[in-house]
Amino acid sequence: MATTTTMSRPSTRTRDKNDAIAVERATRTVVPRVDIYETDTAYVLLADMPGVASGGLEVTADRDELTIRGHVQPTMNTPDYQEFELTDYHRIFVLTEDLDTASITATLKDGVLRVEVPKHPRLQPKKISVRAE
Amino acid sequence: MNRAMTWQPWQEMRRLQREMERLFGDGNWSWRSPLGGEYPPINLTRNDQNITLQVLCPGVNRESLDVSVVGDAVTLRGERAPEPNLSEAGCHKQERLLGTFMRTVGIGERLDPERTQANYRNGVLEVQLTRAPEATPKKITIKN
Repeated sequence: MATTTTMSRPSTRTRDKNDAIAVERATRTVVPRVDIYETDTAYVLLADMPGVASGGLEVTADRDELTIRGHVQPTMNTPDYQEFELTDYHRIFVLTEDLDTASITATLKDGVLRVEVPKHPRLQPKKISVRAE
Repeated sequence: MNRAMTWQPWQEMRRLQREMERLFGDGNWSWRSPLGGEYPPINLTRNDQNITLQVLCPGVNRESLDVSVVGDAVTLRGERAPEPNLSEAGCHKQERLLGTFMRTVGIGERLDPERTQANYRNGVLEVQLTRAPEATPKKITIKN
């Protein structure tokens, strides 16, 4: 089985001021739970990000990294009984060059993000038609 | 040599890595219930007028969502089915919970089932509960 997508923890590199802000934000985020599937033509990533509206979602592919971020609207009132807290989400995935990062699609429905990363056309199975002699 | 007998060190490493990730996790699941675990986790907010129950349950099939109120208890039911067109064979990682759930929450005050409203948005179910008329606090005037 070809493991083309691997996981990594949020990066703590500090390259410039923006990165520093990103790292600061990352300390207050949770890592969303994901499922990763492989089909003939693509990798499909499903991530649970309840509380995130489509406007609060950020999916970026930069070189070999796919980053997903979700921002939730903080609620003002504290619940009387609390089992969960809605916090921003952040997770980074490592991509390989076998993926077509220019054609990534992302959709969000009912708090579940679906990201589809197509494989390079040269890696997709081709049906060879056999001509009868 | 028989293919099944061939030692494949890289595959073995990947299997070990997956096993380690499964055992120790590679994330911080702090959104889960700190009480260890009834699914789905809830938050409850009360004020003089009403009681709001927030339920964290992303990706639930809407037609399977069911909220019922009896006495002072709210029962939540739902199902999250696996994505169609994605086969088990192509699965590299599975962290999300799938299947059916049922949870009953005792509110501690009699509720009016007729005046219950629920909406499901961005994976969060919000149930607005109303106290039964006999359970509504009444102001008592104190006579001399």
